[in-house]
Amino acid sequence: MPIIETDQLTKRYGSQRGIDGVSIEVEPGEVYGFLGPNGAGKTTTIRCLLDLLHPTSGAARIFGLDSHAAGRAIRARIGNLPGDFTCDPHLTGRGFLRFCAEARGLDGLGSALALAQRFEADLSRPMSELSTGNRQKIGLIQAVFHQPELLFLDEPTKGLDPLMQEEFLALVAEFHNAGGTVFLSSHDLAEVERVCHRVAIIRDGRLAAVEKVAEVRGRAYHHVSIEFDAPVARTEFASLPGVTDLAVDGTHVSFNVSGPLDAVVKAAAAHTVRDMELTEPTLEEIFLTFYGRGGGR
Amino acid sequence: MSSGATRLQARTAPRSAVPPPWRVGFAAVVRQGLRDRRRSVVSWGGSLGALGAFMAAVYPSVQKTIEQVAKSYPAGLKQAFGVTSMDTVEGYIHAELFSLIVPLALGFFAIRAVTGATVAAEEAGHLDTILALPISRRVIIVAAWVVAAVSAAAVMIVMGVLTFIAGRIAGTHISAGLVAAGVTGVWALALLFAGVAAAAAGALHSSRLVSGLSLGVLIGMYALDLVGRLASSLDAIRWASAFRYYGAPLREGLDVVSSAGMVAVGVALLIAGTLLFDRRDILGP
Repeated sequence: MPIIETDQLTKRYGSQRGIDGVSIEVEPGEVYGFLGPNGAGKTTTIRCLLDLLHPTSGAARIFGLDSHAAGRAIRARIGNLPGDFTCDPHLTGRGFLRFCAEARGLDGLGSALALAQRFEADLSRPMSELSTGNRQKIGLIQAVFHQPELLFLDEPTKGLDPLMQEEFLALVAEFHNAGGTVFLSSHDLAEVERVCHRVAIIRDGRLAAVEKVAEVRGRAYHHVSIEFDAPVARTEFASLPGVTDLAVDGTHVSFNVSGPLDAVVKAAAAHTVRDMELTEPTLEEIFLTFYGRGGGR
Repeated sequence: MSSGATRLQARTAPRSAVPPPWRVGFAAVVRQGLRDRRRSVVSWGGSLGALGAFMAAVYPSVQKTIEQVAKSYPAGLKQAFGVTSMDTVEGYIHAELFSLIVPLALGFFAIRAVTGATVAAEEAGHLDTILALPISRRVIIVAAWVVAAVSAAAVMIVMGVLTFIAGRIAGTHISAGLVAAGVTGVWALALLFAGVAAAAAGALHSSRLVSGLSLGVLIGMYALDLVGRLASSLDAIRWASAFRYYGAPLREGLDVVSSAGMVAVGVALLIAGTLLFDRRDILGP
């Protein structure tokens, strides 16, 4: 049984689009990336799943339970960290975590204090005095200290410095290794690429694709840039297998090539090569190649 | 970050689908709400208490002057502003504070308490965090009303005690029973307006709109009652104003039925707000 399941989930804000017919399934133990540009519908989907928004049509289920009818039962088993995590600014981190523990019916702060020590989170100062990174640390602790089965992360690294971003991604991997399921919403493909098994692409409120990250990687191509010591003819590279987006500018040639590189190397070797650069595309570039900017594949 | 410490853990074995009882979350939200309002209880209770204490303390020295001035007022005006009897310390404090200032202030306090814990929390994104816990929306809005009720009671108790003590020290024969009736009457009135705010919060997403609408109802009801008292031909319109049922408890004693009725209306409005809040979207920041 999928941990998360949506069936033609649709949400409109009056005449404005939210999401349209989104159907996804997240399996237990999976780190599921939910990717799309800002405004694509990622947060709307999560808010429908968490019963903050009522869908216009369609259904959302978590642990096989209806997200509205069984909202409290679901929320007892999940953790949620929104990107712009906020709480009462007058509360200290400790006060906020104590409130979360009380609301969950826990006797004490459990592992929260140990996690705070590990993350060097300052629990003594009011939330309003904390930096974005320190606030997010407390947000993460409140999302995981009760040992949830499922973790929602909505743009969790937004506003964090690169060091903290790395730390958060490491934590996601750690949570997954401990058997948890993660639903990670992000507009950053590199972030998703690092930790996710599958990735769903949402664009303009519609699901454009759901792919295994490894399979997408399998479609990878290389970007080749060669500097010769003398001009070369365009035809020498245009006819090579797998070559696309060829650009020839005097002694400089650049193109993308998918599949084996043997023919490219042999064609280049016929000339004097001054410099050669071979780069792998990011997942973002791969997705743009396959799904384009204007519509689905 | 330090290394080698607590590792993140996930619960791999499915937990029971039964969440903690609703009262667990309710108690947590109420406790937190009361902690949040501690300062405002002290500042509002202290301010209103200082006002009440001042009025009670100066009454012996201004009593004769006040009575003479009051006699010069037109009868209609005296009735409209509750100045019909200032020959007692309770009548004086009612005319000066409990006929307008204190009911408006405590009504505003209660409206703010409900709005802050619901729509303002929604606008700030705090509800996104709270509603990710096993807490229902009904609990949020009912707890907001309960916190408003408890903290408003605390404000009025502080005011009542300070007023009573100052009156006794000043040598007046201020009645503990009438002071208790006065603060209870204002409290019941405030609960009605807390209900108005809860109903508005159930329907609207803007804290400014909710506060503005609720305050508008509060001031509008006062104006309606005032107009009805000024013009005897319009007396019938006072039935729609809570201030008619509020009366003058500090001077005349508590009308238990009217006060209970105001609380009941507040609860009815809260129920309406709860049903609406349950059905609407939480929009977030």
